[in-house]
Amino acid sequence: MKSHLCEFEPKDLARLLGLPLVPVAFFAGLMHGGVWLGALPASRPTLDVDHTILIHQAEASRSKKDTEVLLMGDSSCLMDVAAKELAEGLGQKTLNLGSFSYLDLNAYTLMLRQSTAANPGHLRAVVLLMHPEALRRTTAEAYYVDFLTNFFDGRAPCRRGRRADYIYCLLGVDVFKSRLLARILPTPFRGRYGQYYGFSDRLEQFLSEHHGSAIDPEPRIFQGNAEYRLARQLEAGSRAFKAAVPAGVKLMAGITPVPETFVGPNYSQLHQRMLEEWSRWLQAQPLTLPPTLPDKLFAKTTHLNEAGVRVFTAALGEALSPHLE
Amino acid sequence: MLFNSDVFLRFFLAFLFLYWLVRNNLKARNVLIVLASYLFYAWWAPAGETTAFTADLVGYVSAALWHGRFLGLLVLTSLVDFSVGLGLERLQSQVKRKLLLSASIAVNLGILGFFKYWNFFVDSFAAAMAAAGFDVHPRTLGLVLPVGISFYTFQSMSYEIDVYRRDIPATRSLLHFLAFVSFFPQLVAGPIERARHLLPQFGHTVIITRAMLEEGIWLILWGMFKKVTLADNFAPLVEMAFGAGTAVASYSAPTVVLGTLAFGLQIYCDFSGYSDIARGLARVLGFDIMWNFDLPYAATNLREFWRRWHISLSSWLRDYLYISLGGNRRGRSRTYVNLLITMLLGGLWHGAAWNFVLWGLWHGVGLALLRSPICQWQLPIGTPFLRRVFAWVITMLFVFYGWLLFRADSLEQIAGMTIALGNFSAPLWLGSFALNLVAFALPLALMEFWQWRAGDKLIALALPVWAKAALQGGLLIGILLFWERAKEPFIYFQF
Repeated sequence: MKSHLCEFEPKDLARLLGLPLVPVAFFAGLMHGGVWLGALPASRPTLDVDHTILIHQAEASRSKKDTEVLLMGDSSCLMDVAAKELAEGLGQKTLNLGSFSYLDLNAYTLMLRQSTAANPGHLRAVVLLMHPEALRRTTAEAYYVDFLTNFFDGRAPCRRGRRADYIYCLLGVDVFKSRLLARILPTPFRGRYGQYYGFSDRLEQFLSEHHGSAIDPEPRIFQGNAEYRLARQLEAGSRAFKAAVPAGVKLMAGITPVPETFVGPNYSQLHQRMLEEWSRWLQAQPLTLPPTLPDKLFAKTTHLNEAGVRVFTAALGEALSPHLE
Repeated sequence: MLFNSDVFLRFFLAFLFLYWLVRNNLKARNVLIVLASYLFYAWWAPAGETTAFTADLVGYVSAALWHGRFLGLLVLTSLVDFSVGLGLERLQSQVKRKLLLSASIAVNLGILGFFKYWNFFVDSFAAAMAAAGFDVHPRTLGLVLPVGISFYTFQSMSYEIDVYRRDIPATRSLLHFLAFVSFFPQLVAGPIERARHLLPQFGHTVIITRAMLEEGIWLILWGMFKKVTLADNFAPLVEMAFGAGTAVASYSAPTVVLGTLAFGLQIYCDFSGYSDIARGLARVLGFDIMWNFDLPYAATNLREFWRRWHISLSSWLRDYLYISLGGNRRGRSRTYVNLLITMLLGGLWHGAAWNFVLWGLWHGVGLALLRSPICQWQLPIGTPFLRRVFAWVITMLFVFYGWLLFRADSLEQIAGMTIALGNFSAPLWLGSFALNLVAFALPLALMEFWQWRAGDKLIALALPVWAKAALQGGLLIGILLFWERAKEPFIYFQF
């Protein structure tokens, strides 16, 4: 007995499957045509926490803010310092350009150049803050560095790597999402970030209101290993960063704290040695900051919680004051 | 295997090719269906299981064997119920038949109960003992709930009950029965098919017409759109609203109302999306499986809602539980009790937690109230249309509060969120929440309103060719836009 009989022609099947592809092709043409004609707004894919923070900080770096003290660095700079409170304490306009994604000093250099170009003559000090975890990283995440570079250049190439990426790119899906959807519809965040910030537009608003600083809402999880050291690759990056600091502007470097039970008893000496060497590469003034803080002040190994931010911001203010007088 | 995954796309294309190859051999087709269904089932990995396998053939086979360890239960259930079916047909003594059926139901429910309810009952027992002042620490087994066990157990059980009732003859083909229990489009989340409808289809040549293909493609697209584009975008909103723990202060009336609304839409789009894809896949293969949803949010009373929501389960509970308990034939009080028992067990079917029990009871009480003289009252003013709107609003309020009970993580959260309905402060993100909710609810509302007005769930197929292509293309674009997001499993997989 036969399994099944097909009472349709091959052309029926071709029509049923093919016709819905016509609007898809039209959509792809519309998207790519829109980009080519410059009819679509610039790409701004605030579709997750990483991109939202990176885009906000990139835009902040190239907008005119007459910043006097510029904080730059990794996610510990972003999450450990309350820039607004620091500004009030110092009596100086302070902006935090700390990043969330794994960038490197070359990427920070790029942001610094944007900021100094947009705000000539106001900057008094650049404070580079990094966590020991970031200091030992040998490479940045290439995707985010490329993204930042393209963002500053006004380009938005599709993400590539997997076969699916090429299909999405060809179909104009990326164009629609990054140029239209993300601008129309705030993206909801998942997990703790969703609970704390809600949506991408709220996170951006929070960052703006807090001079570029954010709060890590994750519960306390200490993980990783505490064998900290300076990556060799940091030296070249540090020199490039120093070269981007305008003449007459002070450059200061600091290492953000780690939970006190997470590291060994000799960590303070290690912290000091790393700071001195790194400052030498940067030709920067080393900032005396607490190497460790009590565990209860941390959200995770690399980020402080709200109470910890208050403590560390006060310590940073004290360390910075003498240099800014 | 998730319908909304790349691996399923590859699986289905390969299956279609093999299906075409075996077009002249009925037995080969059924063997193919059983093997493919078992592979489909074995591919599933329990949530949170992170066993790593290499990305080569050895790795794939190892993964399939590891993940497929629950396949044994599916096969066991199938073999037991097939044998019991044959026994029930041969036996003449009513007592022996009853004994055999009871034993078989005990085996089926025993397996289901062990995997699904063991930890729940043990924990509840320990909690009750603790409340009475006894400190007991019974062993929970850390059991993983095999996907789809509630669905295929009920489907398989309905077969033997029908044979027992002599509504259908027992099948003599093990192959047909294995295919009936494991048919992959509806294996893991229903619809819970009836043997009299699906089983005979494995015994004869099926005819695939152009209309069936068209319906199948439409249902797959619309179902996938509901899942990928709508349900998965409601998911973070629901998480945001329900993820704030148990503290009353974490909630306010707007978050509770909008969060519950989002969950009602999420669970509907998720589950009806799955059911539509299942029916669509079956249509493309030339099979017919039942509609599981019939525009439930258009219901104007609770009874109507249950005739439209998860039809395969509600009709199963009606036919095999409610009617067996006596239905409405033993007086008013007994009818109320029967409704309560049926809906309570229906709630417990969904999961081993007190909130599901409460949800079942909530609906049981609602259905009992609907039968009572109190609810024979009608709004004394207004036009019939206004009265209908009023009835719809009341029904939806009842149904959506039920969703709060269903979604909440604990009884404390239910209490906290209910109390918070009196707190009208709004969170800062409320505007963005509402915007997202409206943006994704709108396509659903428009489509369903159109279907409801036309009284035809396939009304879109009546459009002119160009309009149909535009609509289907639009759905495809919507699916592509959100396909990349982390693949959310279907909510009903956990039941």
